[in-house]
Amino acid sequence: MMTKLVPITKILLTGGTAVWALVLHRPEALAVLMGAELLLLLAAGQLFKNGKAVVMLGIFAFFLGLIEYVGGGAAEECVVAALRMMDMTLLFIYLLGTTRLQDLTASMVQQMKIPYEYAFMFTAGLRFIPDFIEENRAVAEAQACRGLAMEGNFFKKIHRYMSIVRPLMLRSLGRSETMALSLELRGFGGGRRTFMDSVAPKGMDYLFFAVIVLVTAAVVYGRLALGL
Amino acid sequence: MLTLKDVSFHYGKEGPEILRHIDLSFGRGEFVAVTGRNGSGKTTITRLLTGLEKPSSGAVLYGGQDVTAEDAAARSRFIGYVFQQPDRQMFMPTVREEVGFGPYQQGLRGAELRETVDEAMKQADVYRFADEYPRTLSRGDQQRIAIASALAMHTEYIVLDEPTSGQDGREKKRLSALMTKMKDAGITVILVTHDMDIVAGECTRAVVIADHSVAFDGPPEELFASGRPEAWGLACPASVRLGHALPGRPYCKDMAAFCEMYRKVRGMK
Repeated sequence: MMTKLVPITKILLTGGTAVWALVLHRPEALAVLMGAELLLLLAAGQLFKNGKAVVMLGIFAFFLGLIEYVGGGAAEECVVAALRMMDMTLLFIYLLGTTRLQDLTASMVQQMKIPYEYAFMFTAGLRFIPDFIEENRAVAEAQACRGLAMEGNFFKKIHRYMSIVRPLMLRSLGRSETMALSLELRGFGGGRRTFMDSVAPKGMDYLFFAVIVLVTAAVVYGRLALGL
Repeated sequence: MLTLKDVSFHYGKEGPEILRHIDLSFGRGEFVAVTGRNGSGKTTITRLLTGLEKPSSGAVLYGGQDVTAEDAAARSRFIGYVFQQPDRQMFMPTVREEVGFGPYQQGLRGAELRETVDEAMKQADVYRFADEYPRTLSRGDQQRIAIASALAMHTEYIVLDEPTSGQDGREKKRLSALMTKMKDAGITVILVTHDMDIVAGECTRAVVIADHSVAFDGPPEELFASGRPEAWGLACPASVRLGHALPGRPYCKDMAAFCEMYRKVRGMK
């Protein structure tokens, strides 16, 4: 069921949880929200599929809390910062893992009324990430075959990594140029745009809209009246 | 000798099997073509040799020593890799500095480094580009710069992944001549290719990968005489087919050999 929702519902759900995470300020409430998000990921079949991403977010959240602690924050504030970061980002895994990028673009243009050029830039940027990771791997392999070993202390590693970063950047710029040419040759930016698939909300999506509004109201009420 | 001993490979723990019980050895000064259909695993073999992949089972031996655990950087002391897209490795402002990157990593400095780099550039016929920006040169020139980079590391084995794809006839000939020159200098050239003209004309040995294993390992002459290349998705070069049409079915490795044989058969001078 969670995977069948249209993109706008998923976007609202992701945005909604981010708002809830910002409004809530008790560790217990934020932990409950995180539990609910993990359950949602499980229901959408994305928890184990993207287990690595979830763990990486957890590690990042831990370090965020640690930095806050080192900076003089109280233990509870650190836990809140870490949980809030997790709560605000976890559902992006659900959104991006269950939505085709072309549907996301269509939804942004048709329902959110974002100009197509901007929506395309956003989704092209998302698509660029796995390409960039793959390119990074290929360049690192090419340099390893020339004897470049990522050894030594942190500064030596950074210095050596420049041998990977430079060709990576140069190739990425080349790819951007090719992509720009390809877009131009296929008439990008000209006239009104249509989309093949319908991303209009259906019955279940309206139910979720109602749930998101109700939960948002409940969270705001809980914060103001109950201090959650 | 560089050896793959009973090597099997698959991606991940439950990924599809790519190679099954491969036994292959590469001796000094060979010019070996590794060929087969797309996705047959020929590039995987070279990645296993260079240390870019680790075998799921079996071992990689260099001079009798087990080097399976060594990564690509460690194995670069004896094996170099020229990728299909040479611009992946290029980032220095001049060809001279680009070629010097590998030997510099190996610890060469000063006059020794300069001499090594100059020698490698001359061998690969890119010396005239020494002060130019490598990324603005043609792909053929970039291929030869990548080869010069490997030569500068005094490598014993060099792997070239489809170096002639997308090259014009003139550039193909220059690359073939350079590979033959490297073989004559005692370097083992391992060429991953679909180009049967080079396999027939230049290589001393052909290895065909099919059905996850070594389907053929022997001289190109035997490969094309067997009549099986088509079954492995490989084309028979025109010179070989024309030669087979002559009386006695002589093996003509290139068109020059065929013309010579034709004149001989016809009693022409």
